[in-house]
Amino acid sequence: MATRRSRLELVFDILVSIQNKGGKIKPTHLMYKSNLSHKLLNDYLEELIGKEMVHIEQIQTKKSISKMVHITEKGLGFLEEFRRMREFTDAFGL
Amino acid sequence: MFSLFNTPTWFNGIDLIFALVTLVISLFIARYSWKVYRLTSENKFKYFSIAFGLVILALCFKLVTYGILYFNPVREIVDVTLQPITQGENSIRDLFYRAGYFLQMLSTLGAWLLIFFVSQKSRARLNKFYEVSQILLFIYLVVLISIVGNFKYFVFYLTSLVLLSLIVLNYYKNYLNNNRNENSLLVMWAFLLIAIAQVFFIFVFLWSSFYFLGEFLTLIGFLLIFYVYRKIIKK
Repeated sequence: MATRRSRLELVFDILVSIQNKGGKIKPTHLMYKSNLSHKLLNDYLEELIGKEMVHIEQIQTKKSISKMVHITEKGLGFLEEFRRMREFTDAFGL
Repeated sequence: MFSLFNTPTWFNGIDLIFALVTLVISLFIARYSWKVYRLTSENKFKYFSIAFGLVILALCFKLVTYGILYFNPVREIVDVTLQPITQGENSIRDLFYRAGYFLQMLSTLGAWLLIFFVSQKSRARLNKFYEVSQILLFIYLVVLISIVGNFKYFVFYLTSLVLLSLIVLNYYKNYLNNNRNENSLLVMWAFLLIAIAQVFFIFVFLWSSFYFLGEFLTLIGFLLIFYVYRKIIKK
């Protein structure tokens, strides 16, 4: 059985999902990629927007307005730091 | 003047430089581990940081104690300062040296013990009560050994060897469980070198130059740890 992801791991999964899609992704795709419920994803997105790790772009199409989630420089910096932390954890058996 | 064992005079002072380098390396590791603890709030990083903090403390005690022993001017200043307390009695003055050794040994063993507990994976740990009683027993043994080590120095190095061997075993398991990750292997080797150094310290009564070999291996071990740390941070 998979272990529960920590808060930081969830943030990492969200940001890496965006990074893997070239830096931008639709919210629905993000939900599936990061394996989160709609409500949980929205909660985390709100937090990440507040911390300026992501921003939302609203795109006007002919029939409706769609959203795209973009990762920021700060978000990319967090990803790098988290990867370093994970390597440190693995190397020192923590 | 009191010392636990004879050290080669040509190496006096150089071992303090080794200790200083090791101290700086430990500072980097302790600081980064604390930073990770602040971000993740996971206690294992806090304990790992404290472990290296204890290494720093042990090295500070070593620098002070050995520094006084090695350098005449410093020893004379300390003798004069302690004169009101010691009243010229060698046995009382020796107590201060013993206190220095005791604190160094206690901090060192405390550090190895903490690293041993932290490097154990949680599934290898037992239920909370048993774990707490186990920890208390170890603390008692560490204090006892630090006192006895003042009179029979090899007891301290033998205990260090045992703890470091268990740490090496934990890191070997970590290496196997982490898809034979290169960094895990290097950390295992680092602690293995430090463990081997303890063997040289145990047998220093046979040949005083074993002290140099022990200090040299300890330094290499810590330099290896620093190399892994820099490799991770620089990425």
